[in-house]
Amino acid sequence: MSTSMARRNQYRDRVELLQGTLDMLILQTLQWGPQHGYGIMQALRVNSGEVLQVETGSLYPALHRLERQRWVRSEWKHTESKQRAKYYQITAVGKKQLASDLSRWQRIVEAIGAVIGRDPREGEA
Amino acid sequence: MSLLSRLFANRRRELEEEIQSHLQMAIQDRTDRGESPEQAEAAAIRELGNFVRVNDITRETRGWVRRERIAQDLKYALRQLRTSPGFAITVIGTLALGLGATGAMFTVVDRVLLRSLPYENAQQIVEIKEAGRKGVRDAAPFLDLQQWRERSHTLSDVAFYSANKHVSFLEGNTGATQVVAPRVSANLFALLGTHPAIGRGFEVQPQSESVRPQDAQTMILSDTVWRTVYGSDANILGKAIKLNGESYTVVGVMPRGFTFPFGGANPVVWTPIVLTEADATRIEEVIPTYAAIARLKSDVTLQSAEAELKGIQTEVSKGYTDPYDREEVSSIQVQRYGDSLVGGDVSKALLALFGAAVMLWLIACVNVTSLLLARSTARQREIAVRGALGASRGQIVLQFLIEGLVLSGIASVLGLGLAVLTVRLFEHALATQFNIHATLTPSASVILILLGLTLVSALMASIWPAIGAARASIEPALRRGSAQGGTGRAQHRTRALLVVSEIAMSLTLLVGCGLLLRTIYVLRHVPLGFRTDHVIVANMTIPSFKFAGRDIRTELYQPLLERVQHLPGVQSASLMTEVPLGKTFQMVFTFAVEGNTAADIRQRDLSAQFRAVGPEMQRVFGFRMAEGRFFNEQDTAGSQPVVVVNRAFVKGFLGGDQDPKKILGANLIGYGKHRRAVVVGVLDDERQVSIAEQSQPEIEVCIPQITPDTSFYKSAEGLAMDLAVRTERSPSSVVPELRRLMQDASPELATSNFTTMDQVVEDSYGSQQLAARILEMFGGCALLLCVAGIYGLLAYLVTQRTRELGLRIALGAQRSDVMWLVLRQATWMLLVGSGIGLVLAYLSSVLLKTFLYGVKPNDPWTMGVVTLLLMGGGIAAAYLPARRAAGVDPMQALRTE
Repeated sequence: MSTSMARRNQYRDRVELLQGTLDMLILQTLQWGPQHGYGIMQALRVNSGEVLQVETGSLYPALHRLERQRWVRSEWKHTESKQRAKYYQITAVGKKQLASDLSRWQRIVEAIGAVIGRDPREGEA
Repeated sequence: MSLLSRLFANRRRELEEEIQSHLQMAIQDRTDRGESPEQAEAAAIRELGNFVRVNDITRETRGWVRRERIAQDLKYALRQLRTSPGFAITVIGTLALGLGATGAMFTVVDRVLLRSLPYENAQQIVEIKEAGRKGVRDAAPFLDLQQWRERSHTLSDVAFYSANKHVSFLEGNTGATQVVAPRVSANLFALLGTHPAIGRGFEVQPQSESVRPQDAQTMILSDTVWRTVYGSDANILGKAIKLNGESYTVVGVMPRGFTFPFGGANPVVWTPIVLTEADATRIEEVIPTYAAIARLKSDVTLQSAEAELKGIQTEVSKGYTDPYDREEVSSIQVQRYGDSLVGGDVSKALLALFGAAVMLWLIACVNVTSLLLARSTARQREIAVRGALGASRGQIVLQFLIEGLVLSGIASVLGLGLAVLTVRLFEHALATQFNIHATLTPSASVILILLGLTLVSALMASIWPAIGAARASIEPALRRGSAQGGTGRAQHRTRALLVVSEIAMSLTLLVGCGLLLRTIYVLRHVPLGFRTDHVIVANMTIPSFKFAGRDIRTELYQPLLERVQHLPGVQSASLMTEVPLGKTFQMVFTFAVEGNTAADIRQRDLSAQFRAVGPEMQRVFGFRMAEGRFFNEQDTAGSQPVVVVNRAFVKGFLGGDQDPKKILGANLIGYGKHRRAVVVGVLDDERQVSIAEQSQPEIEVCIPQITPDTSFYKSAEGLAMDLAVRTERSPSSVVPELRRLMQDASPELATSNFTTMDQVVEDSYGSQQLAARILEMFGGCALLLCVAGIYGLLAYLVTQRTRELGLRIALGAQRSDVMWLVLRQATWMLLVGSGIGLVLAYLSSVLLKTFLYGVKPNDPWTMGVVTLLLMGGGIAAAYLPARRAAGVDPMQALRTE
């Protein structure tokens, strides 16, 4: 039991490492409209050119966390293929949070770029 | 509980459904892309990862797990209680006793001391009374009130009223209703911060502050009267209503819940005080006097108002021309209106009883702590296993706390029931002692306090064992084989200390109880001076308005009395304004003596109880005459008026050293212009005011001689009258017949109160009796808990030490030695506990001082007997475990493992 608890703590640490970024990515995805968990996962994969593969073990805790912070709200609806699913929608507070997350992200990328001596825009090109 | 778990179940199901829908969509996508359903499902599940894991983590982020754990702990706690019902019942019962006692006493305290008055900023409302040589006077003439109002800078207004405590009769739609009808000044309602809900108040004349003359015959109804007597009649304003035969016009109805004066059982109507010429003088005996209330300006303290009024009063008293009268009004007493409703003695008494209840609660808590400590020792292994399996210390402490809460929660529900029962049990005594007329039910604040106490009990009782258990190291507990492993000296000492404190507190309660029981014993053996057995008393409500202009004596009393005397089984019956020890009516007689000799001053200071009685009185009550004769059938309206006085009166009138015979033939009262009464007899002393008080001076006049032209006819015959009946029959069979006779004589008499003389005496033991009964109960409970505590600890110790004791016996110790080993432990706990208890008792018995009669607060006999009782109980409780210790079979004990 005690060893399994230790492992659980490690797991949690990893979630926390990703937390800020993942939250931002989810909120960014939800900007285009309400989406369910599976949809968010697909969107992240496709939009990142199949690079970012989010685990469900990170995604759902993140979604529930966001919901508790009132950055998103959820609602049960039917998909086009008549599957019942829980749709998440970004709230006004969430949008504000996203804006601040994005600007912070931008600053970090610029700072890291400056340290390793390359213009981030160059790298992007 | 089930609601809580259902809530968790719901949330979990929702999350599972969300993940399921995720899975379905993933499978759908894959089959759409052309994979076979089986392939798709396997891949999707693989991709999803550990389903349970996802579930767990997600829930943990939501804080559900913690809540679920609490629910689990709760379930576990309940299961624990079910597996050891004996323990649970003991703990719950003990706590329920403590909580019940505290709840009951707080219900009374809440009602009597903490009640909120239905007035705006009620703490600013004060009562102003004049005081002087003869003590505090309840009422003052208008001229004095006017001075206070005009000169004071600390009072925002002064109002006055004349509290008519006697029953008045209001003629409504359905016969006459008994009401209280105080007369009030026009500004009184405004001063209290309220005004009629319907209609208007009394209107003031601008110059004189008096009510306008055209308002003289107006009336304001209380909401209760408006609803119950007039059926909430919307057109009540302007209606003419008869009060005691006089007609009044209704001008207003007060809002619901408003009443003044506060307290009292009867519904209220108000009529205005109209000042007359008599109010413009200060001549004693002639002028009407009024009770004064005032509102303090904000930020003014009671003391500064009193100081200012005292200053004003020195000027005011100069207005009294008679120097003797002046001395009686030389000073002022200001008291908050709320405080004036409860005597200082009563509140002190109540607080003492409340303290006793809290002490009982503390004893209960200590007992439960001790029990839980023992139990935590027994559960050491279980706790160690939990710790080894990964439960954190916090979790273990939490679990103990939850168990404590469950126990005290159940106990508090039971305790509330007990509180309600206790209050019911003492309802009559509480009503007579504290003047409570509404039914006493625990209010919201009582329940709140009880809830708080429940929490505190749970914390107090379980935090100690919890911390002990959490701190204990896991390994030794696991390594030890049996529950017999012993628990370190520290814990034994803790439990012993708990028991010692229990003994000390119990002794304190028991000493209080003992002192009161002695008081009651002494009171019961006070010679009253009259017989109280087999006497039924009717406190009549007299419709004197119906007999205005007629002779109530010959038209109501005489015929009624004759019919009562002819009832079967009635030996004698008599009328009197108030039976001895009665508390409903009091008239005081004073002399107006001029002159300045010692005798003059003594006679002027003499105030005597005044009673009008029938000649049959002596046969009903069987009191003795010291000198002369009592009234007899020859004393009639036509014969020489006669009066009877008592020894105390003679002492006050003639001086203490005089022979009572000397007063016979003295001329004391004038009945009319040419009729002066002479003294024909001296009564032996009797306790007629209160059992605890020596006989007061008393003067009695003979009812048949009080004709309507007698100067005091109205006050002696028209205000109050008791009918005392001596009969061997049981009250339950006689009272209905009496009531019928009275109803026939006049319908209003049907509502008269009936009681027995024994009950009147019982009621006048009063607070002592009530306090003794309550303390008896508390003391009994405390003794029980204490004995249980001693027994519990020793029984536990013996179980713990079975091996050691077995070894001792095997090595040749005598059984008596072993027994002494256990008893020694009990004895030192009892000695230390009693020692502390006696000190506590000595300190706290001072609080009881006001209750005690014929016994000192530190009475050594009481203390000694009570200590012996407690010692005896304690040793008896220790004897059983001691015998078990002595009976340990060495072979068996050594084999136990």
